[in-house]
Amino acid sequence: MTGAELVFVPLGAVALGSSVLVVTTDQLVRAALWLVVALGALAGCFLLLAAELVAWVQVLIYVGAVVVLLLFGIMLTRAPIGRSVDLDSGNRVAALVVALGTAGTLVTVVVGGFRTASIDLGDGSAGSAGTVGAGLFRYWVLPFELLSVLLLAALVGAIVLSRRDIGPRARDGGED
Amino acid sequence: MTNLAADAQGATGLAGSAWLLLALPTLGAIVLLVGGRRTNKWGHILGSATVLGTFVYGLALFFSTTGLDAYKRTQELHLFAWIPVNALKVDFGLRLDPLSLTFVLLITGVGALIHIYSVGYMSHDRDRRRFFAYLNLFVAAMLLLVLGNGFVTLYFGWEGVGLASYLLIGWYQDRPSAATAAKKAFLMNRVGDLGLAVAIFLMFANLGTTQYSEVFAKIGTLPSGTILAITLLLLLGACGKSGQFPLQSWLPDAMEGPTPVSALIHAATMVTAGVYLIARSNPIYDLTGDGRLIVTIIGTVTLLIGCIVGCAYDDIKKVLAYSTVSQIGYMILAVGLGPFGYALGIMHLLTHGFFKAGLFLGAGSVMHGMNDEVDMRKFGGLWRLMPITFVTFGLGYLALIGFPGLSGYFSKDAIIEAAFGQEGWRGWAFGGAALLGAGLTAFYMTRLVLMTFFGEKRWKDLKSADGKDFHPHESPKSMTIPMIILAIGSVGAGAFLSVGNRLVDWLEPSLGGLKESEHFVIPKGTVTILTIVLMLLGVGAAWLFVGRKPVPVTRPARVSFPVRAARADLYGNALNEALFARPGTWLTRALVFVDNKGVDGVVNGLAAMLGGTSGRLRRAQTGFVRSYALSMLGGSILVVAALLAVRFS
Amino acid sequence: MSGFFSQAQQLQAPDVAYQAVLPMLLVLGAACVSVLFEAFLPRERRWGWQVALTVVTLAGAAISLIVYGNDAPKAGVKTFSDVLTIDRPTLFLWGTLLLLAFGAVLLIADRSVEPGGAFVAQAAIRPGTLQDRVQAAKVGMQTEVFPLTLFALGGMMVFCAANDLLTMFVALEVLSLPLYLMAGLARRRRLLSQEAAVKYFLLGAFASAFFLYGIALLYGYAGSVKLADIATAAAGTNRSDTLLFAGMGLLVVGLLFKASVGPFHTWTPDVYQGSPTPVTAFMAACTKVAAFGGILRVLMGAFASTNWEWRGVLWGVAIASMAIGAVLGLTQTDVKRMIAYSSVAHAGFLLVGSIALTSKGVSGTLFYLLAYGLTTVATFGIVSLVRDADGEASHLSQWAGLAKRSPIVAGVFTFLLLALAGIPLTSGFVGKFVVFSAALQSGMAPLVVVALVFSAVAAFFYLRVIVLMYFSEPAADGPTVTVPGAFTTMAITIGALATLVLGVFPSFALDWAGAGGFTF
Repeated sequence: MTGAELVFVPLGAVALGSSVLVVTTDQLVRAALWLVVALGALAGCFLLLAAELVAWVQVLIYVGAVVVLLLFGIMLTRAPIGRSVDLDSGNRVAALVVALGTAGTLVTVVVGGFRTASIDLGDGSAGSAGTVGAGLFRYWVLPFELLSVLLLAALVGAIVLSRRDIGPRARDGGED
Repeated sequence: MTNLAADAQGATGLAGSAWLLLALPTLGAIVLLVGGRRTNKWGHILGSATVLGTFVYGLALFFSTTGLDAYKRTQELHLFAWIPVNALKVDFGLRLDPLSLTFVLLITGVGALIHIYSVGYMSHDRDRRRFFAYLNLFVAAMLLLVLGNGFVTLYFGWEGVGLASYLLIGWYQDRPSAATAAKKAFLMNRVGDLGLAVAIFLMFANLGTTQYSEVFAKIGTLPSGTILAITLLLLLGACGKSGQFPLQSWLPDAMEGPTPVSALIHAATMVTAGVYLIARSNPIYDLTGDGRLIVTIIGTVTLLIGCIVGCAYDDIKKVLAYSTVSQIGYMILAVGLGPFGYALGIMHLLTHGFFKAGLFLGAGSVMHGMNDEVDMRKFGGLWRLMPITFVTFGLGYLALIGFPGLSGYFSKDAIIEAAFGQEGWRGWAFGGAALLGAGLTAFYMTRLVLMTFFGEKRWKDLKSADGKDFHPHESPKSMTIPMIILAIGSVGAGAFLSVGNRLVDWLEPSLGGLKESEHFVIPKGTVTILTIVLMLLGVGAAWLFVGRKPVPVTRPARVSFPVRAARADLYGNALNEALFARPGTWLTRALVFVDNKGVDGVVNGLAAMLGGTSGRLRRAQTGFVRSYALSMLGGSILVVAALLAVRFS
Repeated sequence: MSGFFSQAQQLQAPDVAYQAVLPMLLVLGAACVSVLFEAFLPRERRWGWQVALTVVTLAGAAISLIVYGNDAPKAGVKTFSDVLTIDRPTLFLWGTLLLLAFGAVLLIADRSVEPGGAFVAQAAIRPGTLQDRVQAAKVGMQTEVFPLTLFALGGMMVFCAANDLLTMFVALEVLSLPLYLMAGLARRRRLLSQEAAVKYFLLGAFASAFFLYGIALLYGYAGSVKLADIATAAAGTNRSDTLLFAGMGLLVVGLLFKASVGPFHTWTPDVYQGSPTPVTAFMAACTKVAAFGGILRVLMGAFASTNWEWRGVLWGVAIASMAIGAVLGLTQTDVKRMIAYSSVAHAGFLLVGSIALTSKGVSGTLFYLLAYGLTTVATFGIVSLVRDADGEASHLSQWAGLAKRSPIVAGVFTFLLLALAGIPLTSGFVGKFVVFSAALQSGMAPLVVVALVFSAVAAFFYLRVIVLMYFSEPAADGPTVTVPGAFTTMAITIGALATLVLGVFPSFALDWAGAGGFTF
């Protein structure tokens, strides 16, 4: 067992355990914070797999942005802080079955697919920012640019859906 | 059996502009439909003139063709390549041969007469112009059907006449029964059309073409199973359009349309398209004895059903409609006999076109004078009040029952003889059934004539549905003249066509020569005598049952089982319901249930039952995203599981 | 620092065949310009500028497409480091998309049928409030619908040209997101419209997840997301097929969702009904073209060699789709829902052609898409005309006796319905004919028979509407038929004429559709 594998196992355990806590805790804020731990541990796993860039993206976007958004959401909607009984859904059993079923399927498919395959990580440069960047701008430049188009469309959409002060200015005799 | 279809001539001269046959009525229909109310004043004149013009042109074409040698009589007129991609070639062209020209004359001739008749008959209808537009549309589509040089072109016309028929059956929009009848006609025709479509696809897949000349040339190379399948599917198509068993029940309902429509479309022309289809496909049917046998059986069964049910109805048009079903049964029986009967089927088709159109126009004339009443129990003693109608109707009646010397005698008797010419049990079965049918025909038609024109004037004490007294009167000239012309046809057409084998010889390039059977199970002369005897028996029986005693104005409710069965169309509707409608309803219900309610609905439905609240059930029908997502998930799991199962099984 | 720069110098920009991708670049570029219009033009002048820009863009893209298509290499061109393939089917699909989008844009731009246009003046106003009623009467509209349309169209064009699954996925998102938004912009019946948007969004995201997961599994199988690499891997490898088939299944589900093939159609009726009718037209015509373009390319490009394993499954899907569409269409009482179910049935027919996997199957399906799209645009154009005080009168009972009120509208609608039913001398018949005969030739006779049966069943519900229009008495307080302005008239005319022309003289379009095969 290499050093990397030795670190990988506890990291994985942390990710799994904190994920379970996210869905079992009865305090909303704690669930969000456990999510930070789970996502952070996952970033560690990525790092060990030489996926350097993905790991930092994980930290930046998920741990940084997404969870902060979640917390803001909790704050702004004045969700109760502290224990709340109604966080438990009546469909827990069904949810458990679906979750276990999905996990089982994934594990079967992946294990079945890669039973004997192993990938040599080399010197670890395969997932570095440089390599990914070069690939992105050499081979995947069109999808990359398309994503910016997508974001632009999303921005337009967000404005359409949320802006209320459209129309002639109130002084011109408009309704609003 | 020489078939000259393969070496068709390119069309030249007069035939070169044969597209005019299609263009004239189409033009009429377009002008009348697009022109709208502006054309109200002269629409009926234009409509009749285009068809009359087509008839005149068809006549010229006919005479120019009769002068040619037999092998030159088949001409092909290529119009344009319709779908010309790679191996997928469908040409749009016309085929002018004795068979199609015969039909052209029938369609435009009878069509023109009925157009003229309709000028008077529909004079009170606000939408007379639209009626003529539809009639023109029908004539154009019917001509396309018979003139096309391939099965796809035929299919076009086939759908076109279906559409026109559908529009015209539902003409009286305010009657719910008309809409129902139109729908029923459409549905049953779809079943038939499906057969035709699959047959065309089969030809296409196996032969790579759908043009008559190429199909007929190559059909012999196919395995016999495929040929049998094609013939049976074509037969299904014919059953749908021609009202043959088990798809016969739409035709009587189609009488909800105006009477000229019943005469033109549902008696003389469109419903005989099935006979045309089988006769046209004779090189295919020649190859499969089993296929022909099934055609014969269908024809025989239908002709008996039509006769039996015809005896039980009191609605004058429905009796005539079942009579049509039964007469087409004769034609199908004839073409099922193969080389022994193709030409006989066409001959009966022609004579039937005359006398049945005449009978329908006569019925229309009676209705015209009787405030649109159709119940024969309310007629009686009309012969003195409507002399022209009576005489022309009477001649049509005599022709239909096969009175010696009139046209039905020549054509029907020939079919009965040919049926007896089959070997062994077939001769007995088909011949016997055809003979029995002749007797029954005489019975129900005599009953009809007695109830309508003779006896006491039962209408005197009655009022029509809209509360008016009946004032029977003779119809205007525009109606009686077509009836007179058709009556002349009913009298003379049979003799004209059959003397010296005129028609048979003329049709030989299209249908092959008519074979004469070697061994009749009963001698031919005896068959003729038997036919006449049975006819007289039928007439006598009708007089015994109907003519001798007064006819009750209301229909007796307590009747024996055979009469009840006949009144219920021999349970034809029930059969169709069980075969087609019920499974469809069940499938629809099941799918609606799954789709609307989804899995959520099932769960909630159970909960609602248990909890006794209906609110949750109602909520289940509002279309939750989650049940949609669940059904998607279910579908995906099925797809993936099926893929893996196929792979690893 | 020097290392950074030296690395940057090594980076070579990919070659771009600009002439080939010009139509796509024009559309995407115009979308960005259109956003600038939104930002800088005063509100009252936006509509005119946006309409002009959109129409000019579509025309320009079409012209550049024609110019390129005239002497394009038959084998096709790969560009942008092989992520796009501009081959004959791509050109045909692009042309179809541009034409259909033109029709849809005409409907979108129309302000004569509904005063102010079919789109809401302010999407952010809560439905049912006083302001909502005020805004329903206001003349303005959210002109953002124009850039969104162009974005979606750009996404569709990339989607049918994409040569690898990653590009395809990004394009899928680019085409979907604007549609989710546009579905929620109806001026009337705001709640229904917003419900449609949310449903479409949620289910679309769900389907995208399937698609993405399928890509992941296929990447695991082939070590690449390029269609050609997957095909090579599938043809000869000892790796476990589990990944291949599980991946393919999920991928195809994502595609089938977009094409609204049953049983992945569940969103279709709700979304068609709730969306503004011009958007429904755009969605029904263009999305279907793009989705089937993608399905054809993926099936032919990546999975052709394994078709023995999966064809049977897609048979089942096609039959399910035809059955669901044809049977459930019978019970609908809303015109738009009915057309939605008809589109599900048509998706089944299209799938029959798509799984033929022959050049004839491809050309047949392409022709069918063109014909169906044009008919659909015109159909929705007509639907938008029949109105009462509350907006569109889409309940079938309100269409009773329409022929008496407006014979022309009823006549055109009848013709279009007959085309959808596949009656000869309409484009619908030719489309079915070529698709079914292609399927027959690749040995799928039973499937063709089933398809014929269902097309016969489906014909009945179109006929139900015709009967209703012609054979029923109009209700006293029935809807009126609005006299359309130039835009809607033009869209309906184009659609109806094309339906007739493609039915009578289909050969030129069939030639184009069959001009060449896919290149991978």
